[in-house]
Amino acid sequence: MTRNIVRRGTVAVVLSVAVVAAAAGCGSSQKAADAQNNSGGAASATSAQDLGGLDALVAAAKAEGQLNVIALPRDWANYGEIIDTFSKKYGIKVNSDNPDGSSQDEINAVKSLKGQDRAPDVLDLGGAFALSGAKDGLFAPYKVLTWADIPDNQKDASGAWYHDYGGYISIGCDAKKIAVCPQTFAELKKPEYKGKVALNGDPTKAGAAFAGVFAAALASGGGFTNIQPGIDYFAALKKSGNFIPVESTPATIEKGETPISIDWDYLNAGYTKELSAKGIDWKVAVPSDGVYGNFYCQAISKTAPHPAAARLWQEFLFSDEGQNLWLKGAARPVRLPKMTTSGTADATLLAALPKVDTTDAQLPSPDQVDAAKKVLTDGWTKALTG
Amino acid sequence: MTTAVPTPRVRSLADRARRCGPWLAVAPFLIVMVIGLVLPVLALAAGAFEGDAIKSSFSSGYRTAFWGSVKLSVVCAVLGAVAGVLVARAVLSGGALLRRLVLTASGVLANFGGVPLAFMFIATIGNAGIVTSLLHDWTGFDLGDSPFSLYQFGGLAVVYLYFLVPLMVIVIAPALDGVRAEWSEAAQNLGATRAQYWRHVGGPLLAPPIAAGALLLFCGSLSAFATAQAMVGGTVPLVTLQIANALSGNVSPDNAGVGAALAIEMIILVAVVMAAYWTIERRTARWLR
Amino acid sequence: MTAVLTRPVEAPAVRGRRNATSIVVLIVAGVYFLVPLAAAIWFTVQDKVHGGVTGEYYTSIPQAEGFAGALRRSLTLAVLSVLGVLLVTVPAMLAVTLRLPRLRPLVEGLSLLPLVIPPIALVAGVRDMLALGPDQLAGTPLGDALVSSQDPDLPIILVVVYIVLATPFAYRSLDAGIRAVDARTLVDAARGLGSSWFDVVWRVLLPNLRGAVLGAAFLTLGLVLGEYTIAGILLFETLPTWLVKISGQNGQLSVSVSTASLLFTWLLLLVVSLADRRPTSRRDS
Repeated sequence: MTRNIVRRGTVAVVLSVAVVAAAAGCGSSQKAADAQNNSGGAASATSAQDLGGLDALVAAAKAEGQLNVIALPRDWANYGEIIDTFSKKYGIKVNSDNPDGSSQDEINAVKSLKGQDRAPDVLDLGGAFALSGAKDGLFAPYKVLTWADIPDNQKDASGAWYHDYGGYISIGCDAKKIAVCPQTFAELKKPEYKGKVALNGDPTKAGAAFAGVFAAALASGGGFTNIQPGIDYFAALKKSGNFIPVESTPATIEKGETPISIDWDYLNAGYTKELSAKGIDWKVAVPSDGVYGNFYCQAISKTAPHPAAARLWQEFLFSDEGQNLWLKGAARPVRLPKMTTSGTADATLLAALPKVDTTDAQLPSPDQVDAAKKVLTDGWTKALTG
Repeated sequence: MTTAVPTPRVRSLADRARRCGPWLAVAPFLIVMVIGLVLPVLALAAGAFEGDAIKSSFSSGYRTAFWGSVKLSVVCAVLGAVAGVLVARAVLSGGALLRRLVLTASGVLANFGGVPLAFMFIATIGNAGIVTSLLHDWTGFDLGDSPFSLYQFGGLAVVYLYFLVPLMVIVIAPALDGVRAEWSEAAQNLGATRAQYWRHVGGPLLAPPIAAGALLLFCGSLSAFATAQAMVGGTVPLVTLQIANALSGNVSPDNAGVGAALAIEMIILVAVVMAAYWTIERRTARWLR
Repeated sequence: MTAVLTRPVEAPAVRGRRNATSIVVLIVAGVYFLVPLAAAIWFTVQDKVHGGVTGEYYTSIPQAEGFAGALRRSLTLAVLSVLGVLLVTVPAMLAVTLRLPRLRPLVEGLSLLPLVIPPIALVAGVRDMLALGPDQLAGTPLGDALVSSQDPDLPIILVVVYIVLATPFAYRSLDAGIRAVDARTLVDAARGLGSSWFDVVWRVLLPNLRGAVLGAAFLTLGLVLGEYTIAGILLFETLPTWLVKISGQNGQLSVSVSTASLLFTWLLLLVVSLADRRPTSRRDS
């Protein structure tokens, strides 16, 4: 009897699978084909010249009419205004999906939505993900008109990815709740900050938090090749009770739970603007003992449903107008050194950036970052629970 | 000597329909499960077998995370089951209005979690929480000095109960409804005390659904992660946080294999727990008959 | 016959003693559940700009762009998921309880599995499965089905996933109900009295399982209207993902959308619960 049931059970499951396999869908994959046809060659253009100049690119993009972006919060480095300006200037509708998404989510979306109209066109990724995606062949090489202004060590030689904007790790502080705002990592250890210091998430998952640990490592005698002092720093900070593992968000800051938040300076500066309306005086300081900066990367998806609009978006971002909009968001656009010397950088915005002591901050190499991540992933939880 | 000739079974249409009926009833369930569960799990398993993902998933960091998750889930399952039964009983003995309000609220809260839930408790008993400051102002007692901390294992368990207890309430309510008053009356008439009633009648009747509910709570707290992520980050070792880091992080790409391997291992862990649960259940069910 | 099958009445002699502990339990539970909610709501109504209280973080929600579409989509998904869960689990469970008891481990195991897999992992698997559509299975009926199930206006794939996610709760609720009414005895009695299978299910079993079915429906509704991870990663705009999108970096708004969503879902379930017309007064049996 059991054998009978088992046999019937297996037959039932197999039949179910067969039914699923035979299921006739009424969908069509025509949409993707149409999208590719519409672009008229933009999908393989590696620069504006390939299409006959910027004006031709604009025309092709307008014909497409839409752009899919992903994981761009409106308040992250002024992306809201960037999206609106682009949309109004060229009459292209921008669909902003999953603003809270991570870099991994962006890569996954490109892979799994391939061929659909909803697939992301352009990506803003952490460095490691840009490298990984380029290795997997997910990006279409493209060199913007201002390509020469981007330093060589901040772009992929073939044009698969390129740094767009960056910032330094900073200590944000609610000046009304904290008597003396800390200016350095060393000061954060003081007992008066007990239960007040937070990171923007879990360093093994969130890019800004990882950078925070790296910055603490620089401040505690470590370096780009040694992140362990940073882990030890936070372990000590947790033991003394100063560090609380809460993910600091605008809500926790407003509530007063995380009056000191270690985050990218452009994010903290964005909070200053938003919170001043609510009577909160949010100060931003780049710690002089741990100056750690890094950039994010732009890339165009090889299977973008709107390839011309995607390329126009890049041209816009790397034009003076786009770079100044990032500057307005308190981020440091990648062309800033060149724009400062040529005078095209907006002077007021430049002056409003959080002050950094060193004038020549180094960037860690991708290999150094990878090695540091491995050390962190292996040791973070153990160090902070011990 | 006549040998018995087996009579051929008559396969009438009605007969066949009657035999197939139950299978047809189960078919939609199986089809949906195949599409929405079996296939994705197979896809996940395929990802788990690439490279040395499985080997990496047994490193000490992940083992600690597994153990931490199991500890938390067991504690939450037991506490949640007990609290859920108590609350359900209290509610069901009240009026119909209370029953309706609580059961619908439980349906909502059982699916609550993540950042909003974390914030609710941070706003209440966090360092700058309302209750913390009120306690400090009224009694001078500083919650920060007590051994309880919202940002540790204990605090996480307290927060998890917020969605586990409603889940238990909803799941145990039908069983509690089925405990007839006539039975306790009959037991009373036969001379049993309340303790004896619960030990021999009520207890064995409710034990299986309560155990089943506790199993549900165990699985639910095992797979929760968004709340922990918002509240304790990586400072409490939980395997679901590691899976989230691997599959959806901003820090380390190319870790998807390890995430998939960890997820498959979680499934195996629960399969083992369920096997134990079934053996116990079968034994007690036999006794109930 | 019907008298036996209705809800029992509590014996008056026991009621008095149970009331004391019940009240204590209810008070403790009330404090535990309501105080954090009140703290969050209090945070959202404070007017930090002008002082005093304000409702702007609630009134601005329906006015934000995309509200109607997201709400419609989520409600449609919710209704489809509830119907789907019931149509899928109730027949299967009845069949297993009454006729195919040896399939119970399979059905119970499949029912519990979705709860064990973290949503993040499940969606990774779903995504990989969907990715087969445009790649390996392009042009086949299954491939087309996979692609069309992702139609952003009515993503059927979400309905399937939500049915799978709701099954653990539905199964448990229905299982408790089926055991409580001792389905086997009821069925034997009804069949012995000559009723057809349809009558047995429709007129004997389901009315007794009404509480369990409604519980399953509540849980499914709550799940669909609050589920964010899977809809977000698959890039669909449902109510929860839309709420997160509009709240952005505004602290008070990000909290008010979640409390508003909680209260809205609760109200919706209250309305649905009116379908269960239980006797409000004690009845003589």
